[in-house]
Amino acid sequence: MSDQSLLVKDDGSVRHLILNRPEKINAIDYAQHLRLMGEFEKVLTEPHIKVLALSGVGRGFCAGDDLTASAFEGADPYAHRKVDLEMGSGPTVLLESCAKLRDLPIPTVALMHNIALGSGYDYSLSCDFRIVNQSIRYGDPRIDRALWAAEGWSYKLPRLTNFSLVSRIAYLGEIMDGTTAFEWGLAHLVVDDESDIREAAKPLLARLTTQSSHSYAATKTQINQSLDLSFAVATGIS
Amino acid sequence: MDYADQFSNDAISYTLEESVLEISFSDALIRNVALQSISEVVPLAETDANVRATVIRLYATHEDLEDSNALPTHLEHRQPQGSHGSGPLLVQNALGALFAANKPQIAVLDGAVDGLSLDLATACDLRIASESLKICDTRVERGEAASTGVSYLLPKLIGQSQAMRILLLGDTLDAEEAHRIHLVHRVFNDADFGEQAEQFIQSVARMATRAWQVHKMQVHGQMHLDFESAMVHSLGIRQTHVINDRLEGMKAWRERRPPNFTGT
Repeated sequence: MSDQSLLVKDDGSVRHLILNRPEKINAIDYAQHLRLMGEFEKVLTEPHIKVLALSGVGRGFCAGDDLTASAFEGADPYAHRKVDLEMGSGPTVLLESCAKLRDLPIPTVALMHNIALGSGYDYSLSCDFRIVNQSIRYGDPRIDRALWAAEGWSYKLPRLTNFSLVSRIAYLGEIMDGTTAFEWGLAHLVVDDESDIREAAKPLLARLTTQSSHSYAATKTQINQSLDLSFAVATGIS
Repeated sequence: MDYADQFSNDAISYTLEESVLEISFSDALIRNVALQSISEVVPLAETDANVRATVIRLYATHEDLEDSNALPTHLEHRQPQGSHGSGPLLVQNALGALFAANKPQIAVLDGAVDGLSLDLATACDLRIASESLKICDTRVERGEAASTGVSYLLPKLIGQSQAMRILLLGDTLDAEEAHRIHLVHRVFNDADFGEQAEQFIQSVARMATRAWQVHKMQVHGQMHLDFESAMVHSLGIRQTHVINDRLEGMKAWRERRPPNFTGT
């Protein structure tokens, strides 16, 4: 387990978390979930960081769950939450990690190139913005292997798009390219395949750093909380 | 279970072939007896391992308005006394049965689809259409209000903005437009519609049915939950549902071949 598996690089007030296991197309194993969750917690204590961007090096953003991973070695902080003999506590950690990402008050952006499947796709659903390249393969093919995720997609996806598209994305396991992800309302920006995704995202990331942190956090919290409230109650809390 | 023999009547017929339960109406009118039958049969299919998808064929079908005043005996006590007929009880039950089933429910739309057929289609997971589809809801033009559940389901399926257009303006959509706004998921040429639809239905029926059910269970179960409760719900499902096909899924993935799922 190398500390280089997740690169943390700051570009001004933008914190880049960069998946760095290119030999596995950044497939995420248990230890990587823990690293990501640790970074989501840490950024809360660093007020100079205005934007969090998630990306990957190599051939693609993330190939999904690392199904070939060997058992996690080391002290497992989630051992007490083991829920399933075969899957271990992996799903619990993914769920908690995604929930922490979703709850961050700063702008969060997924910068996805070429491949964003399974848990890579899961993490992106917890971000405020999703940027993809044109010929990306983006989605959740778990159902093709009779697997399923329990990290919260089932709450997030119907609210980000609509229930009709949930049938295509989740039940049929259709994989989206850039244009499809944009048309279906999941991707906010599609960049050329030739572009470096972190370079191409710079204008948006720079724009997000200029937003008032307070007003961004307040608006984001209201949007997220209002999803669960009636109009009268939601306007009352505003 | 012999669906054809046990449950078909002069208003509705059932067939079970290659793990697909198919529901067809006998004529252009959807009668109360057919709606009652759907609400009884669909839950049976949900627990029948021989059924891996349910298909409901909707073509030029609409409500039998003359029939709509009569409720079956067991529901007579719910007969309202006002001027609005028997009310939407049977339709709601039929939609409720389709919506509550976690196995794949597929609506096949062909020709002119109006009102009650639209309602039934919105309770399904997938809607496939022929290119000559014209779909609409003309009830609003007749001074009627759909109280079937469509006003709940349609805005969730395609967003409130587009649902308003169909339910309140009475717009008629062709297949292309219905596909653009994601009301239908696949459109096939009229010439080979039957064959293409069949192929698609079979591809869904060969999927890991149990995994489909668990996906849907999470989505439907979390429609009205707040975020934190939804996360607890997901973990609960994770702990309590085992999918046998998972082993075959992993094996096929390692051997780089298509899986052969049993649906369990």
